[in-house]
Amino acid sequence: MILAFVLTVAQAMILLAISPLLVGLIRKVKARLQLRQGASVFQPYADLVKLFRKEPVISTTTSWIFTATPSIVFSSTLAAGLLVPVFISHVPLSFAGNIIAMVYLLALGTFFLMLAGLDAGSAFGGMGSSREAIVASLTEPAMMLSVFAIALTAGSTNLSTVVHQTALLQGIVTDPAPHLMAFAALFIVTLAEAGRVPVDNPATHLELTMIHEAMILEYSGRYLALIEWASALKLTVLLSLMANVFAPWGIATTPEPAALGIGLLVYLVKVAGLAVAIGVIECMFAKLRLFRVTDLLGVAFILALLGLVFFYILRS
Amino acid sequence: MLSEMGSQLIDLCSALLLLTCFAIVAQRRLAACVDLFALQSAFLAGTAALVGFLTDNHHVYVTAAMTGVVKVIIIPVVLKKVIQRLNVKRELVMNVNVPVALLICGALVILAFFITRPIIPLGHVLTRDSLAIALAIILIGLFTMIARQKAVTQLVGFLVVENGLFLGATAATHGMPFVVELGVFFDVLVAALIAGIYTNRLQDAFDSVDTSHLTGLKE
Amino acid sequence: MLILFLLLFVGYVAGALLPLCFPAKPRTQSLLAHGCAGVASGAGIVLGLVGLFSPEPWTVSVQSTVPFLSLAVRLDTLSAFFAFTISLAGLAASIFAVDYVSELERKVSIGALGALFNGFLLSMTLVVLADDGFFFLIVWELMSVVSYLLVVTEHEKADVRYAGLFYFIMTHIGTAFVAVTFLFLYQTSGSFSFEAFRDPAHRLPEGIRTLAFLTALIGFGTKAGIVPLHVWLPYAHPAAPSHVSALMSGVMIKTAIYALVRMYFDFLDGQFPWWWGFVVLTVGAVSALLGVMYALMEHDLKSLLAYHSVENIGIILLGIGAAMIFQSYGLKELAALALLAGLYHTINHAMFKALLFLGAGSLLYATHTRNMEEYGGLLRRMPWTGAAFLVGAASIAALPPTNGFVSEWLVFQSLFLSFHVPDMFLKLMMPVAASILALTGMLALACFAKAFGISFLALPRSLHARRAEEVPFSMRMAMGLLAAICVGFGLGPVVVVPLLDRVVAPFIGVSIAENILAMDGWTLAPVSIEFSSLSTPAIALLLVAMGAVGMALATLIGGSVQARRYKTWGCGIALSPRMEYTATGFVQPIKRVFATIYRPTVKLETEFLEESRYFAKRRHFEFHVEPVFPKYLYDPVIVFFTTLADRVKVIQGGSLHLYLMYIFATLIVLLLFTV
Repeated sequence: MILAFVLTVAQAMILLAISPLLVGLIRKVKARLQLRQGASVFQPYADLVKLFRKEPVISTTTSWIFTATPSIVFSSTLAAGLLVPVFISHVPLSFAGNIIAMVYLLALGTFFLMLAGLDAGSAFGGMGSSREAIVASLTEPAMMLSVFAIALTAGSTNLSTVVHQTALLQGIVTDPAPHLMAFAALFIVTLAEAGRVPVDNPATHLELTMIHEAMILEYSGRYLALIEWASALKLTVLLSLMANVFAPWGIATTPEPAALGIGLLVYLVKVAGLAVAIGVIECMFAKLRLFRVTDLLGVAFILALLGLVFFYILRS
Repeated sequence: MLSEMGSQLIDLCSALLLLTCFAIVAQRRLAACVDLFALQSAFLAGTAALVGFLTDNHHVYVTAAMTGVVKVIIIPVVLKKVIQRLNVKRELVMNVNVPVALLICGALVILAFFITRPIIPLGHVLTRDSLAIALAIILIGLFTMIARQKAVTQLVGFLVVENGLFLGATAATHGMPFVVELGVFFDVLVAALIAGIYTNRLQDAFDSVDTSHLTGLKE
Repeated sequence: MLILFLLLFVGYVAGALLPLCFPAKPRTQSLLAHGCAGVASGAGIVLGLVGLFSPEPWTVSVQSTVPFLSLAVRLDTLSAFFAFTISLAGLAASIFAVDYVSELERKVSIGALGALFNGFLLSMTLVVLADDGFFFLIVWELMSVVSYLLVVTEHEKADVRYAGLFYFIMTHIGTAFVAVTFLFLYQTSGSFSFEAFRDPAHRLPEGIRTLAFLTALIGFGTKAGIVPLHVWLPYAHPAAPSHVSALMSGVMIKTAIYALVRMYFDFLDGQFPWWWGFVVLTVGAVSALLGVMYALMEHDLKSLLAYHSVENIGIILLGIGAAMIFQSYGLKELAALALLAGLYHTINHAMFKALLFLGAGSLLYATHTRNMEEYGGLLRRMPWTGAAFLVGAASIAALPPTNGFVSEWLVFQSLFLSFHVPDMFLKLMMPVAASILALTGMLALACFAKAFGISFLALPRSLHARRAEEVPFSMRMAMGLLAAICVGFGLGPVVVVPLLDRVVAPFIGVSIAENILAMDGWTLAPVSIEFSSLSTPAIALLLVAMGAVGMALATLIGGSVQARRYKTWGCGIALSPRMEYTATGFVQPIKRVFATIYRPTVKLETEFLEESRYFAKRRHFEFHVEPVFPKYLYDPVIVFFTTLADRVKVIQGGSLHLYLMYIFATLIVLLLFTV
C-alpha cells in the first residue's frame, strides 16, 4: 500500500518534472536544424515560473468555467498520465481505468478547453474551439482502432498488462506488422492530439493557423501557466504511451531499486528520442491547411484498420 | 522452410511496402509521390535481397540490385525531370478525394486478404502475408491510375502495380527465372520512358498534363 | 406489491381526473395533477425496486368480457427495471411541471394538460407491465394517442400541427408492424398471452421467425427512432411542452427498447442466426452516427436534443446487437455483458436526456425562445440551471466520471471482446463499430461544447437572454435531482451493475455479477482485471486530488497574486455579441468535412454600398442541410401512394347508392370467402 502510494507520487513528480524539458528539447532541436542557437532546453521552466508569478487578467464577460478550466485540464491530464506506465510496468493505479478511460480523461480536458475558448466572447476563442472540435473528433476513431490493435496483440486493454507482457518477452515483438501499423497510426494521432505540426503549430500566433493557441488566447498569469504545463504533460503522456507500449525494453517489471533506476533512465532516453523525432518532423513539414488534416487523419485511421486486419490474418 | 524470424522480417518489409502505397494515395504533391515510389522500390529491393539470402538463390541478388538501380534511381530521376519541365506541382482536382480513396484502398486490402486466403496453404509461398500484400499493392496501384488525373501520377500508379507484381512473383516462386526478370525490367524502363515522352507531348498539345482532356479525342 | 401497483394506478387516474374538477383555477389544477403524478411515480419507483429484488415474477390478471383480452400484468426484473426508469423520470418531470406549466397558462387548459400527462405516464408504465399481447397493443396505442395529443398542445401553430400529424402517421405505421408481429406469434401459440408466446413448445417456424424479427425491428424501431425511421422524432419531440419532451425522449422511446429485448430474448428465446445481431448492430451504428451528425447542425436546442435521442438509441442498439451476436455463438457471458451495457445506457440516457430537456425547458421559460443563437451568457444569470445542464452535457458526452461514460465504456468493452467470435467478418466489423462509436462520442462532445458554450457562456446575444432570470425552485429541484442521479450512477456502477445483472441473467441464463466486480466490488472488470478495469470512484478521487495538486503548485510557485478583471480585447473596438462565434460558425468545419453526408446548400447575397464595393450594406446568409431521408426515401413512397390514390379515385362516383353497393358487394364476397 505504502509502496503503491510512493510509486504513484514518484510517477506524478517525474511526469511534472520532465514535461517542460521535452518541450524545451523539441524547441532546441528545431532551432539547431534551422541553424539558430535557440534558447536553453530549460527555458520552459523559467517561463512557467514567470507566468505563475505574473498578475492574471480575467475577462469581465467570463463565468466560473473560465477560471475552473485550467485546474480541470491540469488534473485530467495528470490523472491520465498516472494510468500510463512510465518507469515501472505495473502502475499501482492501473485498476482505476484502462486505455479507454485514459482517452476519455484527455477528452474531458479538451471539452473544458473548448468551453473556455467560447467563454471570453472574442471570435478567436470560438474559432479555436470550433477547429479543435473537428480535429479531436477525427482523431478519436483512429486512436480507438489503434488502441484495439495493440490490445489484441497483448490480449488486454489494461495498459499495465500490455506493457508488462511485452516487456517480459525480452524484446521479441511477436507481430511486427500490426505493431508497425498501430505505431504509425498512434504517432499521427499523437501529433494531432498534442497540437504539433503538421496539424497545429504551437509556435504561431497568427489567427489563420492557430487551433490550441486560439482557444487559450485570453489566459494569462497562473492560469496560462497551468494550461501550458498541462499541454506539455499531454505530450509527455502520449509519448510515454508510445515508448512503453511499442518498445517496453528496459522498463522495471519489479519494484526493486536497481530495476527502477534502470527503468527511469531508459524511459528518459526513449521519450527524449521521440521528442527529437518530433522536432525533426516539425522542421521537415509545413503545417497542413485545416481541411487537409482530414487526409492525414484518414491515413491514421486506415493504418490502424490495417493493423487489425494483419493481426487477424496472421493469427488465423 | 524458413525460420520464423526470417518470415517475420519479410512480412515486415511487405508491410512497409504497403505503407508507402497508402502514402502515395494520400499524397497530393507529384514530386513527393515520386519520392515515395523510390522509397517503395528501395523496400522492394531490400525484400528481394532478403528473399535471396534466406532461400540461397543468388540470381535474386542481381534482380534486387537492378531494382535498386532502375526503380530507385533512373525512373525517379526521369520523372522528376518531367515534373520540372512541365512545372506541375500538385494534383488539384481528383476524381476521388483523399479520405474516400483511403477507405476504398483499405477495403481493397481486406479484399486481397480474403481472396488469397484459400491459395496460401496450397503453394510454396514464403510467408503468409506477402502474396496478399502483393495483390493489395497491385489493386491499389490500379486504383491510383483510375482516381488521379495527372499523367505523372497515373504513371506512378502503373509503376506501383509493377512493384506489386514483382513482390508477388518473388514471394510465390522465390524469384522468377532470370531471363524473364530481365525482360520485365527492360519493359518497365521502356514503358516509363514512353509514358514520360507521352506526358511531354500531352503538355505540348493541350497545355496541361490532365488526361481528362483526352476525352475530346473521341468521335 | 398489489398495494403499490394500485397506488400507482389510482394515483395516475386521480391525477387525470381531479384537475378537471377545478376549472379556471390553473394553480390548483397544476398542483393536483402533478402532485398525484409525483405520488404515483414514487410508488412506481418502489414497485420497480421491489420487482428487481423479488426472486419470482409477480403477476395479476383480470379476465375481461372482451374476447382475447385479459388485463394481465406481470412484473419480472426486466419490467421492473423499465418501470423504475419510467417512474424516476416521471417523478422529476412531475416536480418540474408544477411551476413550468404556468408558462403555458394563457395558451392551453392546464387541467387537460395535467390529465394527459398522467395518462401518458400510466400508459407507459402499463406498456412495460402488460402480460398479454392484446392488452399490450391497447396500452401501446393509448400511449401513442396520448403522446400525440400532448405533442399538439400548442395546436394554434401550423408547424406543431404538422409535427403532430407526421408523428401520428409514423407511429401508426409502426403499430401496424407490431400488430403483425403479434399475429405471427398468435398463429403458432393460439393465444395472445405472453406466457404462451414464450412457451418453447410454440416455437415459430424458421421463415416466420425471420419475418417476425424484421417486423418487430421495423415496428418498435419506428417508436425508438432508428435511422431511417427516425424522421418524425426531431419534429414531434420538440413540439411538446418541455417536461413532456423529457418523457418522450427520455423514456417513451425506451418502451420500444423494452419490447425489442422482450421479443428477441424472451419470445424468440434468444436463439437466432448471427446476422440478426449484425443487422441490429449496423442499425445501431448508423443511427448513432447520423443522429449526432444531424444534431450538430441544429440550432433549435430542443431539436438538437431530439436528434441526440436517435444517437443514443443507436448506442443502446450497439450493445443489444453485440449481445445478439455473442448469444448466437453461445458466448453467454459476453452476451450478458453486452446486454447489460445496453440496458445501463438505457437508464443513463433516460436520466441525462430528461435532465437536458428540462434544462432546455428552463431556458425556454426564462427567455421564451428555443433558438440557441439568441441565448448567451446565461450561466451568470441562471447558475443552477447552468450547472445542472453542464452535468447533463458531460454525461451525454460520456466524460468521466459521469454515468454516460460508464455505460459507453461497457459498450466499448463488449465490442472489443469481439475477438472471441469465430467469424472473421464479425471480428473485423465489431471493432469498426467501436471506432464509429468513438467518432460518435467525440462529435457528441463537440455538439455539447456548442450547446453549452453558445447558450450559457460569453455575452447575451439577444434582449431575451439579457432579461433572463433563474427559474422557480421546483424546476431547479427537478433538475438537481436528475443531475445527482447522473453523478450517482456514474460513481456507483458497482451498485447498479449487480441490479442490472438480475435483469439480464434470467434471459441469458448466466449471472455475471460475480465476474464483473473486482477488488471488493470497487472496480468494474469485465472478463478479468487483467483485461480491463474501471473504477469511477478512484478516477473521481484522482481528479480532485490532482486538481488540488495543480492549485497547490500555483500558490507554491507563484504565491498569492490578485487577479485583475478587465474586458476582453476586441481588437480595439468594444466587444459586442455580434463579434462572438455563432452556433452556425462553430460547426462550419464539421459541415465542410462531412459535406458528403450533409450535402449543404449555402446562399449568400450581399448588397454593397453605392460608394464602394469594399463595404457591404446588408448581407443575407442562408444554409440548409439536405434532408436526405425524407427526400430520397419517403418522398418516392408518398408520390407512389398519391398516384395510386388518384387512380383509385375513379370508383368514387359521388352517389350514395353506389357506395351502399360497394358495402353490399364486400359483404357478399366476405360471406362467400368464409364459406
